This record gives sequence, C-alpha cells and structure tokens, in this order.
Amino acid sequence: MTDTARIFRDSAADRAHRAKWWTSRIAIYGVLILWAFICLFPIYWTVTTSFKLAPDVMKGNMVPWWDYTPRWKGWQSLGLSPDAIFQTSTVREEFLKRFLNSLVTSVTSSGLAVALGSLAAYGLSRFSYRFGFMKNSDISFFFLSQMILPPVVLALPFLVLYKSLALLDTRVGLILLYTLMVLPIVIWIMRDQFAGIPVELEEAALVDGLGIWGAFFQIVLPIALPGMVAAFILSLVLTWNEYFFAALLTSTDAKTLPVMVASQTGSQGINWWSMAALSSAAILPLVLVAVFLEKYIIKGMAAGAVK
Amino acid sequence: MTTEGDLLHTVTSERISALRRRAGRSLVWVTGLGFLAIALWQGLYSFQKVGWGFDTWRPVLFAYLVWATALCAAQVIVRGEAGKRTLFILPAVLFVVSLVVFPLLFGLYISFTDWNLASQDGMKPNGLDNLRQMWNDTFFWNALKNMIYYVLAVLVEYAIAFGLAVLLNAQIRGRKFFRVAFLLPLMLSPVAVSWMIGKSMMEIRFGPLARLARELGWDRPSFFGTPEMARFTIMAMDAWTFIPFMMIMLLAGLQALPKEVIEASKVDGATPWQSFREVIFPLMLPVSVTAIVIRIIFKLKLADIIINVTSGGPGGATDSVTSFIFREYRDRSNVGYGTLLAMVYLVLIVIFITLLLKFASRFLERPQ
Amino acid sequence: MKVELYNRICAAQKLSRRRMLQGSAALGAALAMPKVALADSHAKLRAEILKIPGVGAGSPTDADWQKVGEMVLGATKANVAEGEFKGVELTFMGLNNQNLHNFLFRGFLKPWEAYTGAKINWIDLAQADYNARLQQSIATGTVDFDIIEMGAPFEGDVLGKGLASEMPGWVRDQIDMNDYVDYLKAPVGTWDGKTYRVSIDGDCHTFSYRKDYYDNADMASAWATEGDGSAWAPPKTWEMVQKHSKFLAGKTDPLTGLEAYGFLDPLKGWGGFGFYFLEDRATPYAKHPGDPAWLFDPDTMKPRVNNPAFVQAIQDVMDLIATPNAYPADQINADPGTTAFQQFLAGTGGMLDWWGDVGSSARTSDTSVVGDVVGFDINPGSEKVWNSQTSSWENTPNQSPNMAYLGWGIYVMATVDSDTKKHKAAWSAAAHLGGKDIALWMSAYPSGFQPYRNSQFNYDEWEAAGYDRAYIEDYLGSNLESYNHPNAAIEPRIPGIFQYYSVAEDELAKGYAGQYKSAQETADAIAAAWEKITDQIGRESQIKLYKASLGI
Repeated sequence: MTDTARIFRDSAADRAHRAKWWTSRIAIYGVLILWAFICLFPIYWTVTTSFKLAPDVMKGNMVPWWDYTPRWKGWQSLGLSPDAIFQTSTVREEFLKRFLNSLVTSVTSSGLAVALGSLAAYGLSRFSYRFGFMKNSDISFFFLSQMILPPVVLALPFLVLYKSLALLDTRVGLILLYTLMVLPIVIWIMRDQFAGIPVELEEAALVDGLGIWGAFFQIVLPIALPGMVAAFILSLVLTWNEYFFAALLTSTDAKTLPVMVASQTGSQGINWWSMAALSSAAILPLVLVAVFLEKYIIKGMAAGAVK
Repeated sequence: MTTEGDLLHTVTSERISALRRRAGRSLVWVTGLGFLAIALWQGLYSFQKVGWGFDTWRPVLFAYLVWATALCAAQVIVRGEAGKRTLFILPAVLFVVSLVVFPLLFGLYISFTDWNLASQDGMKPNGLDNLRQMWNDTFFWNALKNMIYYVLAVLVEYAIAFGLAVLLNAQIRGRKFFRVAFLLPLMLSPVAVSWMIGKSMMEIRFGPLARLARELGWDRPSFFGTPEMARFTIMAMDAWTFIPFMMIMLLAGLQALPKEVIEASKVDGATPWQSFREVIFPLMLPVSVTAIVIRIIFKLKLADIIINVTSGGPGGATDSVTSFIFREYRDRSNVGYGTLLAMVYLVLIVIFITLLLKFASRFLERPQ
Repeated sequence: MKVELYNRICAAQKLSRRRMLQGSAALGAALAMPKVALADSHAKLRAEILKIPGVGAGSPTDADWQKVGEMVLGATKANVAEGEFKGVELTFMGLNNQNLHNFLFRGFLKPWEAYTGAKINWIDLAQADYNARLQQSIATGTVDFDIIEMGAPFEGDVLGKGLASEMPGWVRDQIDMNDYVDYLKAPVGTWDGKTYRVSIDGDCHTFSYRKDYYDNADMASAWATEGDGSAWAPPKTWEMVQKHSKFLAGKTDPLTGLEAYGFLDPLKGWGGFGFYFLEDRATPYAKHPGDPAWLFDPDTMKPRVNNPAFVQAIQDVMDLIATPNAYPADQINADPGTTAFQQFLAGTGGMLDWWGDVGSSARTSDTSVVGDVVGFDINPGSEKVWNSQTSSWENTPNQSPNMAYLGWGIYVMATVDSDTKKHKAAWSAAAHLGGKDIALWMSAYPSGFQPYRNSQFNYDEWEAAGYDRAYIEDYLGSNLESYNHPNAAIEPRIPGIFQYYSVAEDELAKGYAGQYKSAQETADAIAAAWEKITDQIGRESQIKLYKASLGI
C-alpha cells in the first residue's frame, strides 16, 4: 500500500511519512505484543503449573529449570506421564473416557447447530415468514430468547424429561441440549453473514436453472463458509466447556471433562498440578482447532472477496 | 404462512395436483395421530390405567421424530416451491420448540410451588408467595443491581475488542500468531480460569499478579478486599475470557467490509481516523450490535467465575443473579423459589433485550 | 525404612497383637493357622500396608491404591468365593475430590472386582455438586446408583425416606463395628434401630498451631511486654486465641520470614461447610454440658444462632477483622480450603481449626511446608458458657469440640434388595472399603479420610510406618480426645441441614463485610432465615428428627 502511495510524494514528505509510519508500526506491535502477553501468560502459567510441585506453585516460580525443576507430577496423577503411561491407571481410563465423550458431544452438537442454524438463518435473511402472529423478527427473537434462559430454569424439568425419555446419561441427551444451547448464536452469526451476501448471486443462479436449495448449496454456502467456521468454533468452545448440565445429566456413560476439572477442588484444598494438567489437556484440542481452522477462515475470506 | 416481501424472489409456475396435496396432508395427519396415540397410550400406562406399555417414553420420542419428518416432507409435497422455502427454517423451529416447551411449562409450574427438596411433603403449590418473598429478598435485588455494573462493563470490552480487531485487520506480520493467541483465552474453561487465575495467579504472597502489583508500587495488593476491587477483578477475569469472542465477530465483520468503499475514502483524502469514524464504524454497526447483544446475554448469565472465586462476596458485592439463584437452588435445594427467581429474571432479560434491540434498530436498518 | 527394622518393631507390638485376635478380618485364614502366627502375619500385613508408598515418598498413586486393595482382600475372600459375583454390575456414586475418594475406591476395588467377577460403574461428583445431585436424585426418583458414599448429615434425607438397604449381619462381622469410636456407634448410622452405614471416615475439627511461633524467643519476649502477663504458650481458650491473634498482627513469621498472623478464620462461604468454622468458635460458649442441644431449641426448633453465645463468636471474628493486619490480605475472600491448604500448610498464619486430615497432609502431602513445626490440640475452650435454660452466662470454663460432618460412610441403596446376588455383591464392596486394615492406610496417607476406629490409634503402627512418634501422638491424640469428649457438639442429622449452613454463610458474609450494624444483627438475620427454612421443610417433623438425633 505504501509503495504505490510513495510514487506520488516528494522526498521531504516521504521522510516525515516514513517516521510516522515507523512510530505507528511500533505502537501497533507494542499493543499487539502486550495483548498477546496478557492472553498467553495465564495459559503459560496453567501449562507450566502442570509440571510443578506444590511448593513451586506456592512460591509462584515461573521459569522452568531456572527457579524450579519441572516434574511430571501433574501428568503422573492422570497416568499420562512417561513413567506411568504403560501402567494401568484408573485415572487415565477415566480421563480418556471423558475426553472422548467431550469430543463426541461437542463436535456433534456444534455440527448439528451449524447445520440447523445456517438453514434457518438463510431462510430468515431471504424470505418472509409468518407463523401466526410471528414475523421474521419475532422468529429471530424467539431463537435468541433460547439463549437467554438461565440454565437453572431448565435443570429440574430437564432431569424429569430426560428420565422419562431414557436420555439421562446418554451422549444423545447431551448433544440435543448443547445444540439447543448454541443454536441461537449460530443463527445470529449466520444471519449477519447471509445478509452480507448479495441476493443477485442467487438470482443469477436461479436464472441458470438451479432451485433455491441448489443455489443455497452451490453458491451461498461456499461464500458463507468462514462465518460457519467461526460459528462452529464458538459452539465448540461453549459446548466443550459446558459444566452445569454435564454435572446434572450425566453419571457414568456420558460424563465429560469439565466435571473432572471442577473435581480437582474440594475439601482437601486443590491439586494445582493435576488441575493444571487437566486444563492443559482440555484446552489442547481447542488450540489445535484454532490453529487448524484459522486457515479456513482466511481461505473463506478470500472466497468472500469474490462478491 | 405467506411469503410476501421476500428478498429473494422466485418464480413458481408449477402446479400442484389435488391428489398430491391430499397425499401430503394425510401423511402429516397419519403420523401426527400415530404420535398422539402412542403418547396417549403411554400416558395412560404411566398412570397405570392400561396394563401394558413401554418401559420409557422413548418410543413416543421416535413417533414424534417421524411426525416431524413427515411435516417437513409435506411442506414440499403440498406447497412445492413455497414449501421448500419453509423447509429452511422449519427443522430449527421444530427442534427448539419440542425441546423447550415441556421444560418451560414444567418450570413455570414449579415456580409457583413451595418445593424444598429436603421437605418430606414434596411439592406444594403456594400461589404468589414466592413472588412476595422475592419482593423482600435483599440478596436478589442486590444481585440485580450488580448486574447493571456487569452489563455496563460490556461497553469497555467492546471498545477493547474493536481496537484489537482493527489491529489484527491491519497489515501486520505474524498475523496468524496474533489471531490464534488472542483467541486462546476463550478456550479455557471458566472453572480453570477461576482457579488458575483467580486463585493461583492472584495469590497474595507469591502469585505473579500480586508480585507484579508490588513491583508497580502497591504494597499490600488485595484483589478481593473491597467491594469495588472485587467487582473489578471479576469483571476483568470475565472480560479476559470473552473479549476474544467479540473480537472475532468484529474481525469477521471488518474483513467482510467492501474494500472499494475504504479505498474510496482514502482517495478522498480522509485521515485514518476520519475514514474509521465516517465509513468503517457505521458499516460495522450491524455486526457491533450483534456482538454486543450476544455478549450482554452471556454477561447476564455470568456465574461460574463468581461461584468459584468469590461466592458472591465480599458481602454480596460480586453476586450475580445467576450465582445467587445457583446458591438458592443448589446449595439450599429451594427449587420452587429458585425457579421463580430464574423465571422473573428471564422476563426481565426479555424486556431488556427487546428494548435494547428497539433502541439499536433506531440507528440501524437491518434487512428483515 | 528398612524391612528388618519394620519386622522388629512389629514384633514388639503386643497391644496390637491382642487386638488383632479380636478382629474378624482374617476369619478364613484362622482355620488353617495357629493363633500366634495369624496375629503376627496380620500385624505384618498392617505394617506392610503402611509402607505403601512410605511416608515421605510423596502422595500415593493409583498403583499404590491397587496394591493396598489387593493386600486387604483377605476379609472378602473369607466371605465370598472367587468369581461369585460374575455378571453383576453395580453403580457407585461418590466424590472425586482432587482425584481422591472415588479414585481411591476405584483402585481399592479393582482387585476386588478381579476376584469376585463383579463390575462397578462409577459416578464421580465434584464436592460442590454432591448435595444438589443427591437431593435431585431423591426428589425426581432417579436413584441411578446402588452404592453411595455419603456423609452422615444426609441420613435424614436418605434413610428417613427408606431408600437404603439394611446392613446384613455378616457385613457387621466383617468390618468389626465394635472397633468404631464412640460417637460413630448408634444412633449415628442407624435409623429406627436398623443399621445402614459402613463408616470409612470420622470427622471432627481439631486445633492446629505452629509450634515454632511458641518456641520463638523473640515472640516470647515481645509477648512478655505486650501481652497480658500469661505465659507464651499455645492458647487453650478462644479468649487467648483472640489475644494472641491481635498480638501477632504485624510480627514476622519465623519460618518464612514473611508477615505472621494469628488464627485463620475462613471469612467466605464454602457451600455450607464454611459455617462449621463459626461453630468451632461458638460451641464452647454455646454447648452447655447439661444440655445436648446447642443449635436449636429441641422443643420448638427456635434457632439458638442468635443467642449471646453465637453472637460472642461472631463478635470475636469481627474484632479480628477490625484489627489491622490480623488476617492476611483478601481474607474476606478466603474459604476454608484456602485457609487450610493455601495458607496454613503453605506457611501462612499461626493457628487453624480444621478436620484432622490437615495433620496427615502436613507430613505426607506435597502441599505442605509446615510438617516439622505443626502442633495439634483439641479445639480451644472458653472461660464462660451460655446456659440456654436460665438464659445467663455461667463463668465456668468449658470445652466442646465440634464433630463437624460426622464423617463419610458407604451406604447400599434399597435398589439391590430384590436381587440376592447383587445385594451380597454391593455389601461386599462396601465392606471391603470399610475394612479395618484399609482404614489404617487411609488415615495415614492423603485420602480425605480420618481415623474412625480405635484400632487406628495404635501409635506403634504409625511409628513403624515412619511417622515421628511425638508428632503422631500429638496429631492423633487431638482427634481421639475430641471423639471421646463427653461434651462434644454432635451435629443434628436433620433433613436439609446444609440449607441452614448455606444461608448462614450468606448472611455471615454480609456481616463480615460490614453490611449489618452489629454481630447481633447478623445473628438475627441468620435466625430469621433459619426459621423460614424450618417452616418450609416442616417444623413438626424437624422437631421430631432433631430430638431423635439428640437421643431425647
């Protein structure tokens, strides 16, 4: 950008411009690095704590090999340290089972929510509906209001409902509930996405002989992909970390990770190392998702530039 | 159901035969009646009016699914193109309605009963007593007052998130690193945030934050000692988790902005600040409203961090409505009253959000 | 410690040998072995158990739990044939407290499962979820577990509704219930004369203090000038605790070189558990030796929490809050977990009331830095006591240790009663966890459980395991003395007791934050909230159950 601009400037102004450019660069990177530090330090703290012994945690030692010696303590308590990995460990079995359950429930429910939500959002952004007295804005609000519900309202009713449907302690039960929980956000995000896509694209597709569903799948969906990925990531984060209903509705077969993280506190104080190890292990998949799907967001943005 | 005023106009020239219509309608009726019959039978069985039935209500669920599928299919069979349009939204509506209706009605009923789980007599309807109790409950009103502070903090979060989004959208190196880094706080579970940050990093003697505070000249750092400070700490921790959430929404919005408009404003000689204020910000309003509204809704449910870190203390200064309901409902098993509080809170939120959206739509036209 | 050394010490354990013979844990082997050899091998077994993984070797791991479970399987083998429970599936609901409780049980029961052929499914709950989950299960009829780990305070909720299975006689013999300390014998664990509970834990609060504070010459001389003329020694009454705490504000801790503090009061709630800590301060004032009741009036359920005794306790805390630097910064946000594990065991503060596991944690837990300088005693007493009958203070010294929570137990639910095989399997699993030898190990290592049997107070065994004799006598002695105290404050086993505690915490938090004008006003607010709960749960039935739990 600056290169092309410079052609039109004379040298004195160019120097001033360059000085200004440098200060703004420094300011921008200063802020970026500061914020990156704010974001990363607690995570660094969490990950390193999983390698500390209690006295190291208590003394607030920060730099490994310098003010403390990293140990496998936290991971050992999960049966995931090098020396424990080949032994039978009930804790590790427990951890892996919960990990798998968390994975299945959060991915499935996020996927389901993105599928249902994108369809609904597209409909809301393109067509006018009337269900009785409800118009589009009312329908949108109806969806949104599901997110407002404080979870405690639904706690006991859901317990009763799920009991009679034999959905207690099943992954399906959790998936349904989590889908319900994140659907409103998906719809709201996707509605803005679709609203930003010009209708002319579909009109052209319709002229070319595609049906509305064909136009949706072949034309609109690829453009809206970044939004869907963003919605998916958000849903994933929210469902992955959901605690309240997981604690209430599961017991043996479908139990998830957050309850185990919460269990690291209680009447015997807190196991910093194993809580840190659990938190680190729990955040890892999400970090991978962020790193991996970030690419797709950018790709999707490139596709969005076509419009 | 009409489809007047569609944004996307479709020409429907097809003709649907009466036979096809009838077939579609009867499909809905047959499956619907089947569902009702099974539900009725199971209901009778569970009240022991009939001798045999299913162990659980699950077959009723399957019957419902069949009916719902039939209803969706019938839309297309009966109404053709118009039905295809309805099909976009119908699955989501059916899903939400079916999952929410029963719990909500049951919850409404509970909220007008005196139901302490420890009570030997179980549930006792008690009319408006719970409302009366709420009216005199200083804890509830105090928590409601705190929510105002918490919600106002969203504006600060929005400003920070917007600034970060603009920075990330600028021409910078290592953009991917910064994006991923800025996103990470969102990924940590609230429980872990509460403990690793609230209890470990803010530990008074050796926690890194306390040490930093001492370096900066605060002799006896105390993050929860006074009501104001405790509230601020809670807000900061919550902000730390959720700023990334607003940030990515705003970033997505920024990247979707038409480049020509911004270039045009540059060619017109606008300073960066001018082009931001006159062009970018107004264009970003719809996304901003969405981000803020969703964020406020999350904020209104703020509970996990408070429950784990302060339990609402000191003296209720950090109590949120949800964390108070949580204590009433779970620690004290006071289900009837707790549910009523939640219902009242729900009504308050709905009113608040409606007003907020009305207010927002004044200076922003979104396509309906 | 060397094996030879172990054996020599074990051989010297005459006392334990006699007691071992009474035990029924090795019934099966008794037929085959001469008595002396049996006792010897049993004592050896106990010594061997205590060596896993060994004091000072850090917290035990899963492999250790399984090893212990394997070693104590003898009692089960006497009652159950190998593979007898093949095909039986049981569901066990318990806590996952820092990967203790259920995780221990899992390790302990793994060999049991391998031997009997039964399979156990586990429901792990965080402690914060426990009460709510249990109440909701009961209220909605979703009792989806066969065995439950439960505290005695919930007996009113569970046993009162007939949800548990009565203990069969052979279990009673296998776990040797006569060995229980006195306060855990009936009526605790029983309902309408039937026994339901397999104890695995005993609970009471004891007083821990830092010996190095009281051995410190500088502090002693400072006390000589600033104090009230008494000797600089661990306080025996709350009045002295107050004086010492005020004195210690602003002094320097001899161990860490940081600021010293006196008594550590948790000023923040802890899901109801925080109220026990106010009770600690209040019971010597409130529990009159001539009156079994101290929390409510037994005839009316009128709360006593706003009588002068409790108000005095609240006032004591408020006095320390008003004293600059009497508490660490942010104490207003410190719950009992913080005071015990982040403060006291980590070297902050001079005195603490807690459950006994602070004692074993001080030595064996990775968290502790005070293992060498901690001393124990029964809870402080008082110089006066409130008589509720005459509504007046009596200026007689009083002591009343607080039996907070009464301890965890294993209960079998009535869901197994219809199936004989399942019934026996569930009870066998419960008995395995409630066994005499496993109990010894659990009280010696971080498990979350305290001693609850007289056989656990055999100091020779502890010494043999590598504990310092003086230390262990100090630590266990404070527990034993509390358990057997004639004026112990026993918690009412009435339904919803934690609701009372929880609401009291909320009001106390307001009081401590200065939102009420006085201690009296705070106490009155608690009393008003308690009356409301009593009315809601049902006053008549509460009165009846409260009287029953007091034995009147």
